[in-house]
Amino acid sequence: MSQATLTRKQTAYDPEAPAAAPPPNATRTAVLKALGYSALTVFALLYLFPFVIQIGTSFKTDPDATANPLNPIPSNFTTAAYQQLFQQDFGLWFTNSLVVALLVTAGRVFFDSLAGYALARLRFRGRGAVTLAVVATMAVPGVVLLIPKFLIIKQLGMYDTYSGMVLPLIADAAGVFIMKNFFESVPVSLEEAAKLDGAGVFRTFWSVVLPVAKPALITITIIAFQSSWNELPHFLVSRASPETNTLTTGVAGLLTGALGAGNRYPLKLAAAVLMTIPVALMFFVFQKRIISGSLEGAVKE
Amino acid sequence: MSRKTTTAAVAACLTGVLALAACGGGGGFDSGADSGATQPTASGPVTLKFMITSNGPADVKLQQDTVKAWETKTGNKVEVIAASDINQQLTQGFAAGSPADVFFTDANVFPTYAKAGNMLAYGDQLDMKSDFYEGLVKTFTYDDKFYCAPKDFSTLALIINTDMWTKAGLTDADVPKTWADLETVSKKLTTGGVKGLVIGDTRDRVGAFMKQAGGWIANADQTQMTADTPENLAGLQEVQKLLASGSAAYPKSVDSGWGGEAIGKGKAAMTIEGNWIKGAVKNDFPDLKWKAFELPEGPQGKGTLSFTQCYGIASVSKNQAAAIDLVKYLSTAEPALALAKGLGVMPSLKSAADGYKAAFPDEAAFLAGAEYAQGPVTVAGMDPVLKDFDTQLQGLPGADPKAMLARLQKNGQAALS
Amino acid sequence: MRRGGSARAAETRSGWLFVSPVIIVLGLFLVAPIVIAFWVSVSDWNGRGSPLSSGVSFVGAENYRQLLTEDSLTRSDFATSLRNNFYYVLLVVPIQTVLALALALLLNQRRLKGLSFFRTAYYFPSVTSSVAIASVFLFLFAGGGSVNALLGIFGIDGPQWFADPRGVLHIALGWVGIGNGADGPGPVALTSHDFLGLSWWDWLAGPSVAMLTIIALVIWVSAGGYMLLFLAGLQNVSSDVYEAAAIDGATRWRTLRSITLPLLRPTLFTVLTLGLIGTWQVFDQVYIMSKGNPGKTTLTPAFLSYDQSINNGQWGSGTAMSFVLFGIIVVFTAIQSLVLRDRDPGSRGRFGRRRAVQPVTPPNSMQPMGPTT
Repeated sequence: MSQATLTRKQTAYDPEAPAAAPPPNATRTAVLKALGYSALTVFALLYLFPFVIQIGTSFKTDPDATANPLNPIPSNFTTAAYQQLFQQDFGLWFTNSLVVALLVTAGRVFFDSLAGYALARLRFRGRGAVTLAVVATMAVPGVVLLIPKFLIIKQLGMYDTYSGMVLPLIADAAGVFIMKNFFESVPVSLEEAAKLDGAGVFRTFWSVVLPVAKPALITITIIAFQSSWNELPHFLVSRASPETNTLTTGVAGLLTGALGAGNRYPLKLAAAVLMTIPVALMFFVFQKRIISGSLEGAVKE
Repeated sequence: MSRKTTTAAVAACLTGVLALAACGGGGGFDSGADSGATQPTASGPVTLKFMITSNGPADVKLQQDTVKAWETKTGNKVEVIAASDINQQLTQGFAAGSPADVFFTDANVFPTYAKAGNMLAYGDQLDMKSDFYEGLVKTFTYDDKFYCAPKDFSTLALIINTDMWTKAGLTDADVPKTWADLETVSKKLTTGGVKGLVIGDTRDRVGAFMKQAGGWIANADQTQMTADTPENLAGLQEVQKLLASGSAAYPKSVDSGWGGEAIGKGKAAMTIEGNWIKGAVKNDFPDLKWKAFELPEGPQGKGTLSFTQCYGIASVSKNQAAAIDLVKYLSTAEPALALAKGLGVMPSLKSAADGYKAAFPDEAAFLAGAEYAQGPVTVAGMDPVLKDFDTQLQGLPGADPKAMLARLQKNGQAALS
Repeated sequence: MRRGGSARAAETRSGWLFVSPVIIVLGLFLVAPIVIAFWVSVSDWNGRGSPLSSGVSFVGAENYRQLLTEDSLTRSDFATSLRNNFYYVLLVVPIQTVLALALALLLNQRRLKGLSFFRTAYYFPSVTSSVAIASVFLFLFAGGGSVNALLGIFGIDGPQWFADPRGVLHIALGWVGIGNGADGPGPVALTSHDFLGLSWWDWLAGPSVAMLTIIALVIWVSAGGYMLLFLAGLQNVSSDVYEAAAIDGATRWRTLRSITLPLLRPTLFTVLTLGLIGTWQVFDQVYIMSKGNPGKTTLTPAFLSYDQSINNGQWGSGTAMSFVLFGIIVVFTAIQSLVLRDRDPGSRGRFGRRRAVQPVTPPNSMQPMGPTT
């Protein structure tokens, strides 16, 4: 959805400015506007300043970081923290995170839409029960399952392997529901035309339904990538050796490192900057899609 | 289609999945767990996984360099793994039946591992057994079995910032010999932003005072808790007195993570730390001038604490013979001394003491402590109790030390029984 | 007839085929772990080898009994973690909900331009990794960190945030003369009674100063995600309603109170439920930032259960803790939904349906509300 549509929509539904209200007093409007912007700006500062400090401090030296914690501009600009990161295993962590996130994303997009389609469109025995079961799994608090998940992964002989890191994340109930909801909104006529042409169920799904589901697919691509890229507890319990460290476990190790290791703030913040970049890129490219995606409900009213 | 049948269908499906999970990797597992007692013979060159803790890449390299000679001699390979959280990684390895073959084992966790049967008791196969300090051998003995070779050890000493010392008009003659001396010099050294003495807020530092007062957490053979005694109380009260006087403080109140950081940042003139301070200070605070002295005596004489790790070997390791051979090699004077020098700790071999003294004449205080140092409490299930005591000690400035000791006594007794 | 039947059979076949990968993954990594965990919680498994091997025996409710009734360190630690998490929930859920709603209302104004920039700014923390955010907050709230530097400008000597175990309620009670502040002993009436091995006075400690930093972090991170939910809810409100209100001459405040908020109730329900489920499980931040320190005041049941199993090898009581936590979450969610429903017995079909689905999706997963047809 483009920005223009969004704005137009807001105009139509704006609760704060009733359409039938008498023309407001110009000064009052200006004051309210100023107040609105000030409030927005205060919050924006609160939300952005930590990131500014993060980036600034990552280019500082250790003593500079400790001495001037509030000033984001380095007095001695240095990339030492970044160089140090790459001398350690940072590159490996990054690669692992990328591989895992891409595999998980691909898997989720495919399996979630497959299941979502079946639950939305195919009439089969047990559909209601499956739907119910999937809903129920969403209610299970994930953290409670940490240790048992480790036990299963190890029981299956996938402990400390890529498969143990990827497979448990490769489908998720929430994604299934996003897809199911979407497919329910697609007109049935499309598939019926395909069926009359004699296409099989999978053919219909793959070449007729999936292409029109692009918006929903983008949404779950983003969710899947972001959540697997940022995942920590699962990688704490599904792997152990340094070769399988992801960014989250590796950097968490940096943060909780040995006592004598000193503060090393620039190093830690540089790690934080680097691990934020891919998600940030994705976020800014698909930003409109992400946010309007969550506003989609309004469009269909 | 009735709801019941469909629910049953889903249930059956999930059960199937479960059964799959249950049978999945069972085989490999059980065989792994049962092989604990057997001693597989190493045929041909093997690759040993060697899990270590490190403070950085330099430590890892040192370890790799040290095992090179053994690799050349035996044709085996050693894969050095630097753990980020060694306890977690080992625990998961034990449960999975695939831990590292050789791993650093801290004295704190040793009894837990030994009790669960995760470690091979190979100590008696070592020909240099009599060359280890007796205290260290005792630390790594569980259920009358000597489990693993002590790697090295450290003791606590009084670390003094010599610049501040002379600036305060103090000389070598003023080095504190008693608690009273310590109070006096701490007071003299305390100025505006500098505390005379900064000590860590855990049993691993405060406990030294308990020892100097003639007490300790448990009795000699660790069958009884001896926490709630007048001696221990005297030790804690001394620390409390120092803290209350304002001339001593815990590290966190001077914005430091530990004593070494406090003295390095110039926020403390003295601290009580172990050998590891050397490496840490060299990296983080190269300009600090310091000297180590034996800890002052308490009412019952000298007292310090020692800390140690051993080379654990997994009971499920397939390469136990090679692993023991590696440990034997690492426990000979030359590599032991090289490692000790690199890491700043002291070799666990008595025969290497002279070599160490010659290399580090300034650190005689640490080695002197070895003769009367108290080792850590090594009882399975005691770790959380001791950690809880640490938590209590954090409140020492205000709280009642008697209550802390009573709590330690109660919880510890529960862990012993 | 026959052709129709086979098409039907084909559809059934494909239906099961299509959902089977999801069922297998969820079954293996969600359902099976629950079953195994439950077995471990009633067994004497010590962490070595498989919990399903023959050497492991059934001990009944022993682990639960020990955890909940035996006077032990484990019980008082568990009680401490429950206390900490309770105060955490008590602060995080209302504040993040109100903040999210406020941000959404701010962003839902026609007069203002350039709102997408602000929306992005508020939402961005929700998509970044908890590890990265934690590293920033560790720096901001360090003893000599940015926050204390900022306070210093106003002449305030900030605390050692991460090292300060003092309970804020104890501090506050000290001001009004109850107890001796955070360091001293509490009143005898409260210290002489205990529940689960923790004295009444200790239950009343409130969140510690260190816990406040984690609370601040979580509110800061998650408000943006909930803000989007509220925004979506606001857009769902038909403009006719506002037009009618305007014709009636209702003020802004009245419009907000008597029209906007009641209509946002389904969203509010979602936000509160997600908030409750999420906050009772706090793990990442504790694992990265504090490991339960200082003075066990940031210990939470989720972290304690992990620590108890992995680090202390007490797998039985560790998993038992997970199940007690699970029970707590179920109870709290049920209470919350009862309270919200009782106040408005009138059912609304559309939202009612939605409730069943939404409360359980992760808060920061950018879930679209989905077309409501």
